[in-house]
Amino acid sequence: MVGNSIIKLNNVDIFQQKHLVLSGVNLHIDKGDFVWLIGQTGSGKSSLLKVIYGDLNIAAGTGHACGYELSKLATRDIPYLRRKLGIVFQDFQLLTDRSVEQNLQFVMRATGWTEKAQISERILDVLEKVGLRSKLKKMPHELSGGEQQRVVIARALLNNPEIILADEPTGNLDPDTSEEIVLLLKQISQSGTAVVVATHDYHIIRTFPSRIIKCENGKVLEDVQIA
Amino acid sequence: MSPAHGLRLNSYLQVHMEEFEASASAKKTKTIYISTVFGIAMVLLMIGLLGLILVHANNLSRYVKENIVLNIFMDDSAHETDVLQLQKQLDANPMVKQTQYVSKELAARNLQKDLGEDFVKFLGYNPLSQSLDIYLKADYANNAGIDKFKAELMKNPLVKEVKYQQSLVDQMNANITSISLIIIVFAGIFVILSVALINNTIRLAIYSQRFLIKSMQLVGATKGFIRKPFLLYGIWHGLLGALIAIIILIGTLYFANQQIPDLVILQSPAEFGFVFLAVVAIGIFISGFSTFLAVNKFLRLKIYDLYR
Repeated sequence: MVGNSIIKLNNVDIFQQKHLVLSGVNLHIDKGDFVWLIGQTGSGKSSLLKVIYGDLNIAAGTGHACGYELSKLATRDIPYLRRKLGIVFQDFQLLTDRSVEQNLQFVMRATGWTEKAQISERILDVLEKVGLRSKLKKMPHELSGGEQQRVVIARALLNNPEIILADEPTGNLDPDTSEEIVLLLKQISQSGTAVVVATHDYHIIRTFPSRIIKCENGKVLEDVQIA
Repeated sequence: MSPAHGLRLNSYLQVHMEEFEASASAKKTKTIYISTVFGIAMVLLMIGLLGLILVHANNLSRYVKENIVLNIFMDDSAHETDVLQLQKQLDANPMVKQTQYVSKELAARNLQKDLGEDFVKFLGYNPLSQSLDIYLKADYANNAGIDKFKAELMKNPLVKEVKYQQSLVDQMNANITSISLIIIVFAGIFVILSVALINNTIRLAIYSQRFLIKSMQLVGATKGFIRKPFLLYGIWHGLLGALIAIIILIGTLYFANQQIPDLVILQSPAEFGFVFLAVVAIGIFISGFSTFLAVNKFLRLKIYDLYR
């Protein structure tokens, strides 16, 4: 890893099984960056994120994420790479049969935390960051959509990640709540954690202007302007 | 397992239950596990029954073989003390299970009983020879073993003749070989089917947890950490299934003994203990190994494969 660089892809080709999804990808994300990732459905946004969190291999080119060389990423290293990433995905929701606290404890135990006092302290810390300290004992169905998404973000923050990957984090939320969530993500990026948000919501991009990258026609376009 | 150990294992499993049951409701998960345990128990019951049938068949074959009699007729010049000396030697022979000395008088009495008339009085003398009845151990009760034994005996000048029913031994050994082959082939097919059935049941149970497995991978849990609670449950389910199967097997044995009291001749607690231990070992092994394979399968899947 060089300097503040969290993600660096050089001339990377990305295949989804046998299909070339993106080619010649060059991408550079530094500590504290906030990046919008846009593109039509099927344009390769999710595939790009999968490469970053080690679910897809790099077919050609070189890249690193959080200090791991992606082209040489060993299967045994993938869990440790993911502990440096925070993942906020649509199909990775809270576990509905347990409280907010238990959801967070589950993730912490799965990632090697063993000390009860440290676990409790860290849970209160991340819930404080997302403004939900009082909801510790609530079940997911007792929370609003926005609150649930905040808990998901809190979960992503547990291991103090270097970058948060958020795929449509405002997909099911009303405009006001969406803005609250993006504001929270912006605050997180200002504290030094890079944030990549994949979205189709151009309104919210206009409200929170930032660097935009776009997946289009098998390429990743940098510094895109939207109308 | 001592109660304390059982309690510790239970509480350990309960802790891991959280990782394990998260994606489905507890009720649904419990239903899946109960059906898995009973599925395993039924298959192990079949394996156990087959084991018990094998034990009985083996003991029946041994019982029949060890009741084949070799009659060694002694030379008329042989003294009783010499014959008893020979009997002692034969008792020490590893091929021999049991011997019995039949004096001229006893032989005559036995024959008189069979014929129903006093042939000694009719002839004016006892024409029968003193003899030794030999019962060989089951492993040697075949024509090759008997012929070898007979050849050794015939070298002894005291021995006049050795008689046994060669055709009966041939027939019996042929039948036992056929029956054993049939049972072994049947057992082989059955074990393969059983493994496939248990494997399928467990795979379905773990399939219902595939999103949980993937979620654990996404947060950075290692494969070992994800596998551990599943494996512990697999082993636990195998053990529970085995215990249920053993309880039913003991009940079946009790019922069979009530109906056929003579079965006791063919039974030994040590052999039953071995069958029950084998049921436990097979249950734990198949359930644990199938769980290992099934979890590994879902660990290898990419996220997009989960939706296919």
